[in-house]
Amino acid sequence: MKEAVSLRINGETHELFIEPNTTLLEVLREHLGFTGTKQACDMGTCGACTVLLNNRPALACLILAVACRSKEIVTIEGLRKGDQLHPLQNSFIEQGAVQCGMCTPGMILSAKALLDERPQPTEAEVRTAISGNLCRCTGYTKIVEAILAASNME
Amino acid sequence: MMRLPPFQYVAPESLEQACRFMEEYGSESKLMAGGTDLVPSLKLGNLAPRHIVNLSAIPHLDEIGFDERSGLHLGALVKLHSLEKSPVILEKYPAIAQAATCVGSPQLREMGTVGGNLNIETRCLYYNQPDFWRAFRPTCIKMGGDTCNAIGGGRKCFAVFSGDLAPVMIALGARATLVSAQGERNVAVKELYTGNGAKPLSMKPEEILIGIDLPAPEKGTSSSYSKFAVRKAIDFPLASVATLVTLDGEEKVCRAARVVIGAVGTRPEEVEGIGELLEEKRLTYELIEEAARLAFKAARPIANRGSSPSYRKRMIEVLLRRALSSALSDTELGKEHMR
Repeated sequence: MKEAVSLRINGETHELFIEPNTTLLEVLREHLGFTGTKQACDMGTCGACTVLLNNRPALACLILAVACRSKEIVTIEGLRKGDQLHPLQNSFIEQGAVQCGMCTPGMILSAKALLDERPQPTEAEVRTAISGNLCRCTGYTKIVEAILAASNME
Repeated sequence: MMRLPPFQYVAPESLEQACRFMEEYGSESKLMAGGTDLVPSLKLGNLAPRHIVNLSAIPHLDEIGFDERSGLHLGALVKLHSLEKSPVILEKYPAIAQAATCVGSPQLREMGTVGGNLNIETRCLYYNQPDFWRAFRPTCIKMGGDTCNAIGGGRKCFAVFSGDLAPVMIALGARATLVSAQGERNVAVKELYTGNGAKPLSMKPEEILIGIDLPAPEKGTSSSYSKFAVRKAIDFPLASVATLVTLDGEEKVCRAARVVIGAVGTRPEEVEGIGELLEEKRLTYELIEEAARLAFKAARPIANRGSSPSYRKRMIEVLLRRALSSALSDTELGKEHMR
């Protein structure tokens, strides 16, 4: 049976009427067009669908949208301020940390959660923070460099 | 995108309400907390409950409490991530922090809970597969059929209990509190597991695990958890060892010792004979070798996970040797993950 659900996404409220078996990933991509959140394994393994739930990284493919009421959801689309990209986004571009792009939104959101908690992380902390985000182009070196560079800019 | 099967959804805001729902829905329902174990099973078609009862909104179940006399209390909704960071757990129960740290990925630890990890479903290469994959083989016992695909023609289910917290909790002597509309009961965490791969959890369908309690550690006690998996992040264990050792004084006389092995059978298994072998003796490397051999013999993995049974069995011996050697040489356990 469909339920009315109100979700806070990137600071805006969205009213939805959905079945309880709808994942947050389905809502983001198919109902609301936030296709920056990627769907890859769809089983909670790869981290491509990572979003921030109350500022902590979570996997949209494993979360029921009806369970996200009263939570603050941030997707990659919510990071820029007006025309200004987030420092992490700029850093990924400058360091060449984007290859096919499939893992990038999840990587950046995992990195944002880390930098919000620890503005000057060690390389080991960066690697742990993105350990749930798989990059199949295997460009991890540049991704780690981009996150460290962004942490030094702040 | 893989769709979830239809179900009715409720998110009770009190424990009483949750108990009433479970009393009504019973075995037609599944409890959900973080959802990290349940949702993949729904996507693969392993489970199709009519009702899902989300416990996340129930207050006070996410609390961690410690006192020197009564020990540690962990609410069932405590996130695995909170265990990694809790100062009291890092100081008094390092094995719990180690076990929590090596579950899944940072995202899964932000979502997953203590109760969920203890109540995780058993896993098998032939079970954790989508419907279309399973359709080309006979229906296995865990899916309601009458044969085991891992052991051709087997009549028993050997699906592996792959939780990381349970071995540690059993080694540390944890007890679980279960509630239902009928009342409350307290059981050793060890009793939560049946040893039947097809139905691994002993909780009644209407019961809810609300928290666990552990005794305060005795002086000289060290605990550890070590895990073998292919990747350091994301993977379930393929073999794991939890230890608890109490050593007395300069002489390092062993006053208490418990070893629990995980991910090599249908439930976490305490290795028999460890206490008799080690207690009231000075711990030596010779004794550690004997203990490692006992654990090796106790592990009986079969070919239903992503590594060979003989390798997993050998890793149990290796992990225990490392853990006990580390306790003996006074190096703080868990500084480095031994996988």
